[in-house]
Amino acid sequence: MSGVAMSNKKTLKINSGKVSTVLLPVLFGVLVIILWQSGILHKVLKADTFTLPVPSRIIGIVSENMPSILRNSAATIKVAFGGLILGSLLGYLLAMIATAFPKWGAGGLTIVSAFNAVPIIAIAPIMTNLTKDFSRDPNTRSMLAKMLVVMITCTVSMSINAYRGFNELKPFSEDLMKSIAAKKSTVFFKLRVPNSIPYVFTALKVSVPGSVISAMVSEYFAEYIIGVGRQIRENIVLAQYATAWAYIAAAFVIGVGLYIILLIIEDLSLKGRR
Amino acid sequence: MAGQTEKKSNWFVTFVWFLGLVGVWEIGATVIAQTKRTPQNVLPHLGQIVQSVFSSAMVSNKMTAIQIVMSNAGITLWRAGVGFLIGIAVGFLLALLMKLFLPVEKTIFPYLMMIQMIPILGMAPIVLAVTKDINKSRIIIAAILTFYPVATNTLAGLKSVSQQQLELMHSIAASKFQLYTKLLLPACVPYFFTGLKISAPMAITASILVDTLQGGGGLGCMLSQSLKHAMSIYVFWQIVFVSAIVGILSYQLMVLLEKLVSPYERAKA
Repeated sequence: MSGVAMSNKKTLKINSGKVSTVLLPVLFGVLVIILWQSGILHKVLKADTFTLPVPSRIIGIVSENMPSILRNSAATIKVAFGGLILGSLLGYLLAMIATAFPKWGAGGLTIVSAFNAVPIIAIAPIMTNLTKDFSRDPNTRSMLAKMLVVMITCTVSMSINAYRGFNELKPFSEDLMKSIAAKKSTVFFKLRVPNSIPYVFTALKVSVPGSVISAMVSEYFAEYIIGVGRQIRENIVLAQYATAWAYIAAAFVIGVGLYIILLIIEDLSLKGRR
Repeated sequence: MAGQTEKKSNWFVTFVWFLGLVGVWEIGATVIAQTKRTPQNVLPHLGQIVQSVFSSAMVSNKMTAIQIVMSNAGITLWRAGVGFLIGIAVGFLLALLMKLFLPVEKTIFPYLMMIQMIPILGMAPIVLAVTKDINKSRIIIAAILTFYPVATNTLAGLKSVSQQQLELMHSIAASKFQLYTKLLLPACVPYFFTGLKISAPMAITASILVDTLQGGGGLGCMLSQSLKHAMSIYVFWQIVFVSAIVGILSYQLMVLLEKLVSPYERAKA
């Protein structure tokens, strides 16, 4: 009896912990929105409703401009996702090559990681210029240029993390493989590849938000005017702050949405490991 | 001894890769020089860029290209640096607060995750409306970008302490203050520096990016002017290299600082 009571108490405690995990941030968010809508936030920040429109107005603008917001969001998602896939595959491949030839590969990865510190804004205009002759259609060639920028940012984090995944093996697991006279390819596919999966997700957690942000930054320098990031900038330049805010909201939804999808995929694919 | 030779060969390997990269660039530049009408806009030879650094031709405002780049790099770096320091302070304090009070962590942490999804340029007009000063808003945006990685990494560091270590501190009746100064804060130093290494190049990127939004000097401002052919295109190429070098140096500076500050790194060397 007492055991049941104890476990009841325990689940109750866990539940209250879980409830506060959800409830506190939600309450905080609601509080901020109320302060924002009622104009108290504006007084604190000394801002006006022109540059910082109230949430109800932003929602109104979003619903009014739904078709064009969707069109621009689709363009941004295409760039971010395409670049993410290309970059991650390339990064994984580079890590494989570096693992196969450790002496030269590790040095190559040092160079790759130096790219990590190069600002995206330096790369974006170069790519726009490089792809000028790729296609007659400015939309297609801008799309390629933007994808290349995203690809570079994603390649870096994937190659570094996957390389660690291939090489930070459990102690003795490599010796075990040797002792049973496993071939190099067997070691690779049975030991290194499975070991790299969690590291792949570490890389993706960095590069998914990164891909959205670099897609938006590369839009600023692209020839063809499309995409959420470009629309934010265009509307700010035109002093249409409310419309710019609607696109900021869209960018936010894209970023958070992609991140949640990634978390779900990670949860599904790592289920047996935890 | 063996370690030393290994280190040397590592340097050699990196150097060879670097040469390879230069080679690829030069081949690309040669191909483009033969196929395009204005190759300097697409991919000039590295030699041409180096030459433009040392050329004394006036580009605009009676300044040579390199003078323009360097003076504007100074402006941008100054803003990025101030924003970076503010971001570190805020991020560190926030991590400490989150560790001290669990409800604070539960309330703020989800928003910390989301903040990185908001495009930086989107925040520029709000910040501008508040500060009424473009310079201040650039600093604040660099600070916002810095504070997120510092806060999350420092918090992870504060939580990295094992249960046994905590129990030991409790068993010798350490006060909360001692617990933090003797155990938790030293434990979070490597994590803190991981945050700094991520955010130092980001603060610089942010500062350059905000430059492009409005006039008033700075690397980003010059970059967009040069792209619009308001001045020599080589200003653009110099900015590309300067920002790349500065980004890498800012990372290396954090590595150096970590070595100076932390005993565990000195022990390694």
